[in-house]
Amino acid sequence: MGLVHGEEMVLNIGPQHPATHGVLRLQVRTDGEVVSQITPYMGYLHRCFEKHCENVTYEQVIPYTDRCDYLSSMSMNFGYVVAMERLMDIKVNERVEHIRVVMAELQRIASHLLCTGVFGLDLGAFTPFLWALRDRERILDLFEFTCGARLLYNYMWVGGLSHDIPVGFVESTFEFLDYFEPKIDELENILAHNKILVERSADIGVMPKDIAISYGVTGPNLRASGVKWDLRKNDSYSIYDRFEFDIPIGEGKKGTVGDCWDRFYVRILEMRESVKIIRQALASMPKDGDVHQSLPKKIRPPKGSVYARTETPRGDLGYYIESDGSPIPYRLKMRSPAFTALSVMDEIAAGWLLSDVLAILGSLDIVLGEIDR
Amino acid sequence: MSQEKEKLIAELVNKGLDGDMDSVNACEDRVTRSKVKAMIMKIKKGSLDRPQMPVSLSDTPNESDDTGKTDDKTTEDISQKIKNMLLDNFPDETDETGQDGHMYVRPDKWLDIATWLKTESSLLFDSLQCQMGIDVGEDILESRYNLHSMVHDHYLEVRIRVARSNAKIPSVEQVWRIADWFERETYDMLGIEYVGHRDLRRILLPDDWEGWPLRKDYKEQETYHGIVVPKMKEGWD
Amino acid sequence: MTVDFIFEGLNQLFPSFAGNDIFLILAMLLPFAGLFGFITIYGFGVIYSELKVSSFIQDKTGPMGQGPGLHAGKWGLLQPVADGLKLFFKEDIIPASADKPLFILAPFLIFIGAFISIIAVPFGEKIIVADMNIGIFYVLGIGSLAVIAVILAGWSSNNKWALYGGMRSAAQIISYEIPAGISLVVVIMLTSSLSMQEIISYQAGGLFNWVIFDNPFMPIAFVIYFISALAETNRTPFDLPESESELVAGFVTEYSGARYALFFLSEYANMFVVSAVAATAFLGGWQSPFSDFLNTPIWSMFWMISKTFFLIFVMIWIRWTVPRLRVDQLMHVCWKVFIPIGLFNIFGVAIWTVLRG
Repeated sequence: MGLVHGEEMVLNIGPQHPATHGVLRLQVRTDGEVVSQITPYMGYLHRCFEKHCENVTYEQVIPYTDRCDYLSSMSMNFGYVVAMERLMDIKVNERVEHIRVVMAELQRIASHLLCTGVFGLDLGAFTPFLWALRDRERILDLFEFTCGARLLYNYMWVGGLSHDIPVGFVESTFEFLDYFEPKIDELENILAHNKILVERSADIGVMPKDIAISYGVTGPNLRASGVKWDLRKNDSYSIYDRFEFDIPIGEGKKGTVGDCWDRFYVRILEMRESVKIIRQALASMPKDGDVHQSLPKKIRPPKGSVYARTETPRGDLGYYIESDGSPIPYRLKMRSPAFTALSVMDEIAAGWLLSDVLAILGSLDIVLGEIDR
Repeated sequence: MSQEKEKLIAELVNKGLDGDMDSVNACEDRVTRSKVKAMIMKIKKGSLDRPQMPVSLSDTPNESDDTGKTDDKTTEDISQKIKNMLLDNFPDETDETGQDGHMYVRPDKWLDIATWLKTESSLLFDSLQCQMGIDVGEDILESRYNLHSMVHDHYLEVRIRVARSNAKIPSVEQVWRIADWFERETYDMLGIEYVGHRDLRRILLPDDWEGWPLRKDYKEQETYHGIVVPKMKEGWD
Repeated sequence: MTVDFIFEGLNQLFPSFAGNDIFLILAMLLPFAGLFGFITIYGFGVIYSELKVSSFIQDKTGPMGQGPGLHAGKWGLLQPVADGLKLFFKEDIIPASADKPLFILAPFLIFIGAFISIIAVPFGEKIIVADMNIGIFYVLGIGSLAVIAVILAGWSSNNKWALYGGMRSAAQIISYEIPAGISLVVVIMLTSSLSMQEIISYQAGGLFNWVIFDNPFMPIAFVIYFISALAETNRTPFDLPESESELVAGFVTEYSGARYALFFLSEYANMFVVSAVAATAFLGGWQSPFSDFLNTPIWSMFWMISKTFFLIFVMIWIRWTVPRLRVDQLMHVCWKVFIPIGLFNIFGVAIWTVLRG
């Protein structure tokens, strides 16, 4: 492509554009439809997360983490409390661990549903998006049932949870899983094996292993490139080591390993794995246990620092917390997975057509709230 | 009251006074807890002397007083091993102040060390997990790198300290490509200049923003393009 | 034909004024008024069915209402009216840097193109506004007017997205006219006429006399025509000119209010025209599928409209099911798949006609 060179044009995709999933500006240089360079400009959604954290107490940070990745708030909470508990050396009881895992995996399904749906939408298929949202809605109902909020939960607290799960939650969740499992096949059938979608995404935007690792790409994007790396197994935080599940990796079934189709398909496979984990966690959840048992009265971690990572739907979420022994964090850094995923854009998307660039952007599954923080 | 209980109370009171109220709150016996708290109050008022810290008698999880790094032994082993290797390869480049979980490196040859860390076959730190900057006070800025090896599955934290007046660190964006954006962010927030970075611009803030927001002495500018910048409130009010 | 028919009818009704020029003008205006009314009603109908069919496919309820009132009416029937009213009352914005005359001209041009194609569509033996002897040729020719309008819209908006949309659309519509034309050539070879009415009368005598079942090459021609028609009307999977996730809204990015409504309406009018041509050329037009049964003029209208609407339904169905193609794939399908098959089809039908007929 691009043998005949014409005059180059600079095109701003965003900050208001249907395909940028938020307020992101991609400045692209195009020669006709062929894109030669992509420069992302972020910061439109910058809310000074890290600066705010230096002014509020440790427990007040949790609602801010919700608002960073608003599509997977539970996982953001989870990452923070794991880091804090590691810093303060708190052990939470079994019931809390189980509930956390269930919530995080439900959140993973919800987030992946949105991602796969939006990926279809970026390629012009509107219906799968609404199907995905319909199922996501049921997960949000479960969350609302648990903590009253549908998007920003503030559910996981350092040393426990804000509420115990309500009566009937386990049954409703099982009911949802029974309903949901056939729906994954439905979504897979309408999208993954659709000839047009395969044509549009296979062999497009291939991200080789070494590039992915060098750019710090993590999560499903890294696994789609064929690296079997999942913190739930490799780092086994919380109680993930007790559950049986596979780590799906990209195999290049329709094209090359690490193409858009792989990134999309890995997420569908991961939803199945999450369903498995939730089933096991719900089955082995202890019937009693106080979710406030290890809740410290005042959070005053010892002097020191911790870097803890957890696996969110978008990849490795790291919190680097530096404590000076006061109830206010001295410095808190969030290593956000979408930030690193976006940085690889120019590397893998230059040279493709304009439509492909947006397909690649959709397959990376970025959330601007977390990139800009 | 038994001997043991007295000891426990004394221990908890000491901890509480040192700022570790969590271990006090974690005490399961309510009577003991209230006694401890009452004692702390009295000591703070000055009506009671601080008891002697008893010799440790229990090994409850609340007792650990490490720096928060609860990584397993291998991490410390590897960082010690690397430190020794580094001393062999790059004498005079490490600071001895580094503790168990991390090591300090002098900025001058950081690029060489980084390349060595990535390529040395027994280390192979191919992934830069996180890079952050921190204002540690006393006119010192720190740049911290959390490295991880996908092949050997070991971790290392490297810290580089520079004076504010000469906040220059060699850039490693060509060693680990993600450092490109991480360093831009640290530059944006703390004003550490990464020498050799090919595209060192602000990333999250507007290009014409003044000051380095995450430095501890940061003062917001009064107005930005004619818009009054709201003052950040102290604490939660 | 109808103009003459109405003129004669008026002459017979009022013999004292026979041959009056006013009758001639009336006879010309009446069918147009009727056609305009038809398009309006059709527009509401098709927008409503698009909403409802998509809701059915997407597992949602779509427009709903509990009765006549200010909301969407019984079963949401008033939703298209509300949509139309909203569009017509919206502020009409012309960008400061737009090429004003061309910007204003484009929506009218595209609407005129869609509107005057319909006069050649037959609804019954006598129910046709203009039975030209080159009817099918006329529809194809007028249909190309849309390209000019789309390029004008894309260029005059002075917006990069609109320009992309306009250029894509030009390439797309011009390319897909070739396979569409080629597959209609096959029909013309078979019926040896360009007149819509004669093509239909060739298919008289029930389902199995329809062109699509005439010989094994015809279903292929029908599929090629139908897909090319989708591309010509910019419907998914060929909606690249206005692909909302890539080009914001393509060539209509800068249009708002009534001007946008004209683009919107002409897309649906175009859908009707291409479906009507497909029904005429392949599915027996206004002929009943049961030979002489139910073949009266009123029923002929019913058959024509239901065949057309069936094809429109399929278009809506496809739109809400499949993703969008990419520019190069679109061209690949056209030039490397459809045109060779179409040419082969012409060859095959020619031999078939010689051998069989």
